[in-house]
Amino acid sequence: MSKDVMVTLTVDGLEISVPRGTKLLKACLDNGIYIPSLCYLDGMDHPPASCRLCLVEIEGRPGPLPSCSQTVEDGMVVHTETDEVRLLQKTAFRLLVSTNDGKCRLCMANKHCEMQKIAKFLHMPLRTKKLRHIPKDMPEVIEEHPCIVYEPNKCVLCGRCVYICSQQNYDFALDFAKRGFNTTISFFGSREEGVGDYCRNCRACVDICPVGALNLKDERDAFLQNLQAKISA
Amino acid sequence: MVDNLEQDQEIDLEEERVLDAIAAELPGISRDVHQLIPVLQKIQHIHGYLPLGSIGMVAAHFGIPGAKVFGVATFYNQFRFNPPGRHPIKVCLGTACHVKGGEIILENFTRRLGIEEGETTKDREYSLERVACVGCCALAPVVVVGEKIESYVTPSKVEGVITEIEIQNEIAEREKAKDEQQSDSE
Amino acid sequence: MSSNPTPSELLSELTQAAEKQWQALQNPAVPVIYVGHATCGRAAGSQETIDGFRDALAEKGIEAEIITVGCLGHCYAEPLVTIHYPGFPPLMYQKVGAGEARVLVNSFLQGGEDPCFEYLLGALEPNDTFPTLMDYPRYLYEKRVIMDQCGLIDPHSLDHYLAVGGYQALAKALEKGDKWVVEEIKSAHLRGRGGAGFPAGIKWDIARQAEKTPKVVICNGDEGDPGAYMDRTLMESNPHQVLEGLAIAALAVGASRAILYIRAEYPLAVSTIEDAIAAAKEHNLLGERILGTDFSLEVSVFQGSGAFVCGEETALIQSIQGNRGMPQYRPPYPAVEGLDGLPTVINNVKTLSTVPSIVRKGSHWFKAIGTEKTPGTAIFSVVGDVEYPGLVEVPMGVSLEHLIFEVCGGIKDGKPFKAVQIGGPSGGCLPESELSTSIDFDSLRQAGAMMGSGGMVVMNDETCMVEVARYFIDFTQHESCGKCTFCRIGTRHLLEILTGLTKGEGSDDDIAELQTLSEETIIGSLCSLGKTAPNPVLTTLRFFKDEYLAHYREHRCPALMCRDLIAYYIDLDACARGCDACVACCPTEAIFTTSNRKKAIDQEKCVKCGECVYACPPEYDAVFKVSPPEMIPDQGIKPLDEKKEENNE
Repeated sequence: MSKDVMVTLTVDGLEISVPRGTKLLKACLDNGIYIPSLCYLDGMDHPPASCRLCLVEIEGRPGPLPSCSQTVEDGMVVHTETDEVRLLQKTAFRLLVSTNDGKCRLCMANKHCEMQKIAKFLHMPLRTKKLRHIPKDMPEVIEEHPCIVYEPNKCVLCGRCVYICSQQNYDFALDFAKRGFNTTISFFGSREEGVGDYCRNCRACVDICPVGALNLKDERDAFLQNLQAKISA
Repeated sequence: MVDNLEQDQEIDLEEERVLDAIAAELPGISRDVHQLIPVLQKIQHIHGYLPLGSIGMVAAHFGIPGAKVFGVATFYNQFRFNPPGRHPIKVCLGTACHVKGGEIILENFTRRLGIEEGETTKDREYSLERVACVGCCALAPVVVVGEKIESYVTPSKVEGVITEIEIQNEIAEREKAKDEQQSDSE
Repeated sequence: MSSNPTPSELLSELTQAAEKQWQALQNPAVPVIYVGHATCGRAAGSQETIDGFRDALAEKGIEAEIITVGCLGHCYAEPLVTIHYPGFPPLMYQKVGAGEARVLVNSFLQGGEDPCFEYLLGALEPNDTFPTLMDYPRYLYEKRVIMDQCGLIDPHSLDHYLAVGGYQALAKALEKGDKWVVEEIKSAHLRGRGGAGFPAGIKWDIARQAEKTPKVVICNGDEGDPGAYMDRTLMESNPHQVLEGLAIAALAVGASRAILYIRAEYPLAVSTIEDAIAAAKEHNLLGERILGTDFSLEVSVFQGSGAFVCGEETALIQSIQGNRGMPQYRPPYPAVEGLDGLPTVINNVKTLSTVPSIVRKGSHWFKAIGTEKTPGTAIFSVVGDVEYPGLVEVPMGVSLEHLIFEVCGGIKDGKPFKAVQIGGPSGGCLPESELSTSIDFDSLRQAGAMMGSGGMVVMNDETCMVEVARYFIDFTQHESCGKCTFCRIGTRHLLEILTGLTKGEGSDDDIAELQTLSEETIIGSLCSLGKTAPNPVLTTLRFFKDEYLAHYREHRCPALMCRDLIAYYIDLDACARGCDACVACCPTEAIFTTSNRKKAIDQEKCVKCGECVYACPPEYDAVFKVSPPEMIPDQGIKPLDEKKEENNE
C-alpha cells in the first residue's frame, strides 16, 4: 500500500504499520499488542475514554493518555507497559472491582468476562482487598425491562450497551441515569405503551456487555436454576 | 390508615391533573431537542416537580426515548420527582455554611419535621432539601424557607421558623372559620 | 457623498441624554437614597429597608428618590444604603434595617440636621467633614477594574451604564475590527478567570480562524463552587458590562450567536440579564445590525440545572444540547468543534466583564495592573472567620497575608489563623507558612492550591482540616458526573476513608491509600473536576498531617469539631444555680437538673449541636467541649430527685 494511506509507528519497540486515521488502541490490538479496555468499541468516532484502562505513554506528550482517543501518527513512539501506566491501570481496575462482591462462580459471565481477562493480564485479584467493598446504593438486581435484568454492582458503566443500542436501533431504549457513584443504566419507559416500542429485543446490549451485568431474564433464571441444582448435588 | 389512603388518592388525583395540564401545554413548545432542559425546567417551575408520568410525554413530544429524558432529568440537581411541600425548606450546605454548622441545622430540621432530605411531609406542609450554596456566604448559616432567606440560623431558630409557620397557619384557619361562620349567619 | 454615522456617533446620541440624567443625579435637588438590592442585600433584609424608607418618607411628607443598586461586595455591612442629601457628599450607611431607615428619615432626611454618625460607614467622596471610605484599608487596598461600578449604578438602567462609559468599548471595537480586538486582548495577556487561566486572546484567535460557521460565544455563568458568588454579583449588579464583553467577544471571533449560561439557582441574575438584553436590543446595542454596522448578534439565556461539572466547557455544551452534562475527551477543543459541532468560545463572566475596559483603555493600561505573567485583578469571595467577609477585588500578585489581614481585617474576634482554602472544591488548604504566596494562577498552583473559582474560606483554629477535606470530597463525589472510573469510584473511596477518620476510625494504611489514590485520581481522571478534586485532601495531608493522626490514633479532634470525637459538659462550679438558659434551647431535651439544682448533659441524648454554649450567659460560661469524649471530668453528678423535693416541701 502507498505511504499516504499507511502510517508507521513504534509500540514497545515493535514497528507496526496501520491505515491512517486508525485509533492507537485498535492499531495495537490488531497487531497483537494487548491493551486492556472496556469502553472502546470499533467504529466509534469519539470514544468516551471513560474506563481509563487503555492508558499508554507517547514520547513527546505529557502524561499517560487513553490510547482509544489518540489517532496514529507517523513516527509515533508508544510505550504500553511503563510503571506509571501499570500503576494507573491497576488502580482503575481495583476501583472497578470494589463495587462487586467477586463471586464469579455465581455469574453468567464467568470464564468469558472481560474483567477476568484483565485481572489475569494485570495479575490482580477479582475481589477487592486494599480498598473497601462499597456496593452501589441500589438493588442487587433491577428488573425494569420486561425481559432484560440488570445487575448494577457488576456493571462497570463502560457504556457499550448505550452505544450499541443507539447504533442498532433508530432510537435507543436504554441510557445512563442518575449521576456520580450511583450512575446506572436505565430502561425507563420500556414498560410503557408506545415508549416501550423502542426496544426491539435485539439483545445487542446483552451480547456486548463485557461483564455480564445485562442478561435475558429467561436465560438468567435457567442459569441460576442449573447452578442451584449443581450446588445441591 | 384510612387517612393515609385518602391522602394517597388525593395525591394521585392531583398528579392526574398535573399530567393533563402538561399534555395541554406541550404542543405549543418547539420540538428542537435543545429545548429539552428548558421544557423540563418549565414543567417544574409551573407544577413544582416532574411527575414520572410526564417524562414519557416529554419524550414523545421531542420524539426521543423515555430513557434519554429520564437520564437527563436524573442527572441534574434541579429536578425533583415528588411534589414539594407548601413550605419548601432548603438548607444551604455551601462551604461557609458548612463550616458554620449547616449540617447541624439540617439535622435539626430532619428531627423536627420527621423527614429526611429530599422528602415531603405526609401532610404536604414541608419539604426538606439541601442546596449547594445560595450565595449569601457572609450570612452563614443560611436557610431558604419558601422565598425567604433566613440568615445566621441556629438550632433554636429552626424551632422558631417552624413555629412561625404553624402560628400563621393557625391564624389563617381561624380567620377562615370566622369567615365561614359569618357567611353562615348571613 | 453623505456617509452613514459611525457606531461612536450613534452611541453618543444615546449617551447624551443618559449623561444629562446622571449629572442631575450627582447634584440632586431632592435627597437620593441608594439601596443595595442584590441577592445578598435581599437576604439581609433590603426589601424591609426600602419599605421602611418609603413609609417613613410618606409619613413625613418628604420628597426623595429611592434607587435600587447592585452589590458593592461588602457583605458584612448589608443592607447597605447610600444617601445623597443635597449639599452633603454621598454618605454610605451600614446595616440599615427598617428601624434605622426610619431614624435616618427623621434625623437626616428631614431637614438635613443629623447625618447619624452611628450608622455611617463613610463618605464616597473626599470632603472636610466626614471620614471617607478610603480611610478604611478595605477600600484603600482594593483595586476595582471589574467591579468598579457594582453597587453604584442601577443594574436595571441602561442609562446609568451608558453614563459611566458603557458600550463605548463596543463602538470602538466595531470601528477597529475583529483582528484589532483579538490582538489587543492577546497583547493585554488577559487570562481566563474561570479557573484554568488560559489566555482569552489565543482562544478567540483559534475560533476566529476556524472555518466552520456560524460561530458561537458562550458566557459561562454556571458558578458552581459552593462558596463563590462573584459571577452572580457581576450579573446582578452590572449586567450590561457582561453583555458588552460578550458582544465584543462575538465580534472578535465572528460569532452570530451568543448564549449566557446561568445557574437556575440564580433567579435574580437571570431576570436582570434578561431585562438588560431587552434594553440593549431596544437601543440597537445587541440584535440586528448593531450600531448601524453589519454585525448582528442573537443573544439568549440558558439556565443551568445545577450540576457543578457543567462549569467544564464540554459538559456545559452537552447540557445545552439537551444531554447529560458529561465532559467529553479533548481534543477536539470547543473553539474548533463545540456546540452542535460549531466553533465555540466559552468565557467566564469575570473574563468577559474585564474585556470592555481593556478595549476602551487599551492593553497597556491593563498590563500596568497586576503581575507580568497575570495582569489585571482577581476577585475573591472571602468568607469564613474574617472580620469583613465579602467580595474583594485586588491586583494580581498581592500576598495572601495582605488580602486576609489588611484588606479583610484579619481573623474575627482575634482568634488565631489556621488555614485558608482557596479555589473552592478544586483548590487547596494553605497554612500560615504559605501566607506569603502571591495571588496569581502560577504561584497558587505551585503552593498546591488554585485560583479556581475564587472562593476563599478563611478558617480559625476551631475548624478541623480532616472535616474540611471530607466536606469538599463529599461535594465533588456528589457532583462527579460518573463517567470515568477514577472520579466516579475514586472520590467515593476517598470519602469513605475521610468519613471514617472523622469518626476516629482508620489506620496508617488508610492514610497511605488516601495519598496514593488522590495522586492517581489527579493523573487518571478524564476532566478537570476529577483532576482537581483531591487537592483539598493532598494539601491538608501535607500541611496538617498531625491532625489526621490524632483522629485515628488518639480518637481526638484537635479542633474540637468532629462530632463523633467530642463531648459537651457543664462545669458545675461555673454553672449558676437555678439558671435555665441552656434547658430551653436544647433541641433534644438532653439537659437535666442535678441534685444541687445546677444543670448537666445527658450524653446519650446529646446531639452535640453546641446550642447550649451560646445559650449559656457569658458571665457563667459554663459549657465546655472536650475531645476525646472520655475526657469529661467526673463531677459526681446526680439528677434531682423531684419526688423527694416535693415531699420536703
